[in-house]
Parts: sequence; C-alpha cells; structure tokens
Amino acid sequence: MNRRNLIWIIVSFLLSVATIFYFVNYPGGKMAARLLNFETITKAYQQHILMVFVASAAAIIVSVSLGILITRPFFSKWASIVDNIVNIAQTIPSLAILALFFTYLGRGFSTAIFALWLYALLPILRNTSAGIQNISPGIIESARGMGMSNLHILTRIELPLALPVIMGGIRTSVVITVGAAALASFIGAGGLGDLIVTGLSVSRNTLVVAGGILSALLAIFLDQVLDLIEDSLRIR
Amino acid sequence: MKKSKILVLVISVFLLVGLVAGCSGQEASQSDQEGDTKGTVTVGSKEFTEQLVLGQMTLLALEDAGYEVVDNTGLQGSNVVRGALESGEIDMYWEYTGTGWISYLQNDEPLTDPQECFDAVKAADAENGLVWLDYAPLNNTYTVMMQQEKADALAIKSISDLADYSNQADHEEIVFATDHEFSIRDDGLVGVYEKYGFEFDEVATMDPGITYDALKNGEVQAAMGFATDGRIKSFNLVNLEDDKQFFPVYNAAPVIRQDTLDQSPEIADILAPIAEKLDDATMSNLNYLVDSEHKEPREVAETWLKDNGFIK
Repeated sequence: MNRRNLIWIIVSFLLSVATIFYFVNYPGGKMAARLLNFETITKAYQQHILMVFVASAAAIIVSVSLGILITRPFFSKWASIVDNIVNIAQTIPSLAILALFFTYLGRGFSTAIFALWLYALLPILRNTSAGIQNISPGIIESARGMGMSNLHILTRIELPLALPVIMGGIRTSVVITVGAAALASFIGAGGLGDLIVTGLSVSRNTLVVAGGILSALLAIFLDQVLDLIEDSLRIR
Repeated sequence: MKKSKILVLVISVFLLVGLVAGCSGQEASQSDQEGDTKGTVTVGSKEFTEQLVLGQMTLLALEDAGYEVVDNTGLQGSNVVRGALESGEIDMYWEYTGTGWISYLQNDEPLTDPQECFDAVKAADAENGLVWLDYAPLNNTYTVMMQQEKADALAIKSISDLADYSNQADHEEIVFATDHEFSIRDDGLVGVYEKYGFEFDEVATMDPGITYDALKNGEVQAAMGFATDGRIKSFNLVNLEDDKQFFPVYNAAPVIRQDTLDQSPEIADILAPIAEKLDDATMSNLNYLVDSEHKEPREVAETWLKDNGFIK
C-alpha cells in the first residue's frame, strides 16, 4: 500500500471536516449561516458525491467498454467516429450541456447526472483506447505465439498493461466531474454548487470559499483513492 | 503602381471623413434651422426588454408631441444609466422606485408601500436635481407564481391562501423553485416564511431564468419570478397577490433632469397618462411580445401607444 496516497487521503478528509467545523462556527453573518450549518452542508455534500459517483461510474462502464470495442480489429473503422462524437460532447461547455438537457429532461438530479456523464466520457475513452493501442505489437504477437486466445490477450495482457493509462483517464475524468457538478446547482440539482452560487449572488465570500474548498478537497480525496485502487489492481 | 495605390487610399480616406463630417454637419444645421421645435430630449434606458419598451414609448410619445428626440436606450447596467442621467448625457429614463431607494440613495431597509417609496425617492432625489414623474402601477418586484389552472383548482389567489393551503394536514406536496439569491435573503424566502407563517415542503434552488420553465412543466408547484416577466403570460402562470405587502416595491417611473423639465414642463403631462395605464399584466404582455414573439421593442411600443390613443 502506498503510504503517500494514504497520507493525502487522511489529510484531505481531516481538512474537509475542519473546514466544515470552521465555517459552521464562523459563517460570517446571519445570511451565510442559513447555508453554513451541519444539516445543509451535509445534504449538499451528499448530493455532490452522489452525482459524481453515479455519473463517473456510468462513464467508466461505458467508456472502458467502448474503448475496448474500438480497439478490436473488426470495429477499428468505427474508432474515429466514436472518438469524434465524444470529442464534440467535450467541446460544449458543461454549463451549456446542463442548460440544453434541462429543456428535455427537466430540472434536478437526472438531468445533472446525464450531463455530467456525457462530460466524463472523453478522458476515459481516450485513455482506454490509447493505452491499449500503445502496447507494443511484439508483446501481442508473442502472446498469440504462446497460444493465448483473443479474450486471454485482452484480460491478461492488454488490460493489465493499459491499466495505468486507463486509470489516469478515470482520475482526470472524476476530478473534472467534481468541478462540473458544482454547476448542477443552476438546474436545481443541489450539491456544493448551491453554496458557491448563492455566495456569489449575494456577495457572501464565506459561502464561496467554503464551497470551493470542500469541492477541491473532494477532488483531491477521490483522486488519491483512485490511485490506491490502481495500485491494488496492478499485477505485480 | 505602389504610389498610385497610396494616393487612392488617401483620397478615399478623405472622402470618407468628409462624408461623415458632412452628414453630421447637415444634421446639426437642420436642427438649428428648425427653431420652432420644442427642443431636444435624450432618452436612455437599461438593457433589458422592459426598459427598451419603456424607452421606445417615451421616444415615440415625445416625438409625437413635437420634440426632437435622441435615442440612447439600451445602456448596460443601472449604474451606467444613472450616471448618464446625473452627468446630463441623457435627459431622462425609466427607473424603479425600489432601485432608486436602495441602490442610489443607499438605504438598507426596503420599502413595501408604493406611494411611500415613491414619495421618499422623489423627495430625496430632488436635491440631486432629478425629478421622479408619476409612477406606473407596474411593479417589477419578486413574485410567487403558480400555474393558473392549479391555482384556480385550489382556489389560491394570494400568498396567504397558499400559506393556508400549505398548513393543511392533507395538502399535496408543494415544491418551490427559487433562484439562489432569493433563497437566502432576508427579504426573500426567509421573510416570506416569517410574514405568512408557513413553509414549502421542499425548495429547489436554480438559475432564475428557469424557474418559469420548471413551473410550466409541473416539476415544481410554485416558483419565484419577476412580476412583469413576459413568460408569466405566455406560460399561463399567475402571480399570487402579495396581500401582506411583503415584497419591496419596484414601480417604474420616468426620472427626468430638473433643467430639462423646467424647459419643457409639458413632458410630465405627456407621460402621466401613459404611466397610469401600465400595470403588471400590460407590461408582462408587452414583454411577452418582444421576448417570445420576437417583435421589435419600438414596434411593440408604437402599437400599444396607438391602440390606447396616446399617439396618432
């Protein structure tokens, strides 16, 4: 187990708790205190984590599968098409995606999940296909020479070798999602964005800072947790 | 070759400058010649729909009365427009009494009685050489809205009715859509709860622009909005009456420089009957024509003024 990861995880967790306690005790005014209390912060935090978790999980499943699929020889001609579609999704600003899908899916959680999911796809897909494509053909050749089936090559050779790259994509994607989830507040999905956006709209900086710090710490926390997971998945 | 090109360039620049200078000179001399006009009035406005419509109305009405008018509408932001008025760049524009009271006169406590607020800003701004002419009934303040059908079915007409309904044990769940600012301000949701003695079952915080859509689509049962927004009409929503006069008032009134008014006191008489006719529903409808039917503010203003016999 990597000690450096563990330290970061514990530090970011403790800092989050400390941040919450600090701002609940020093909300900087009556108005800010309406949001800076344990009940509201916990609720916002839960909503935020749930959004990130569901959107990321769905994105990992879809993107990794797609990434594997488009690196198979019989699907390789689709690779650029899939890549471009996901690319385009990424070029639309996340706020615009939220606004766009609000029109069709309505307010709240499900719309936010869908938009965040769409936004989380690209880094994972990119890294999955790149990770697999960059494996030296010689290795695949020799695996085939040893009589391994395609499935075995995928599960024993390609995926393990591409794992660090894939996990890199997942980590990027999760960190982006933590940030983008703050925007979900605009369509009524709650989350830490509620603190930030409300703070901005009434010029109460404690709210903005509290929301910002908590969201940044969450990103660091999840990034390090994923790093740990990568370590434990790696075949030694 | 190269020399002749430069020559052509220089000549065309001169011609262009001459053309521009000539045009503006002509304009100036024209207004100098017409000594019989009643003088020039520059009208300003803020940048949003309602302000543009009010600005165009003023321009058209003054033009019709024989004034030279200069259209300086669509300035960005309240402070810019107010600054332009104080410095004399514009002679008049429509301002909201509440904005004047809180933003320009730097008061913290909002006023909730229309006449009281108007009298207060009128008195205070007199020292700044500005005159608030008679205000319109239109009150562009916060509003609590419901779907017209839903409100009718539950016989809810005012916020008090809604409070009574919410306090019944067996009421349907009421989710309230609000923007971030309203959700936290003393004179927002918190104040509504205190004044009317109830709470919504759930509050959904979102961008102010989408509360109307959320309400229209039935995703929430009540929502905050601004009382003269065009979508209230087009989405078939209804403003619940603020029967306890909780929300600060934002009645629109023409504000004019004292020196301009001294020169042309008639302006007050031209605008008074127009202001009198502009209530929330009328303004919401005019905003709707611009926002949803994509008509020009000038066209909307002109049609309305003609229909009501203010201009020929």
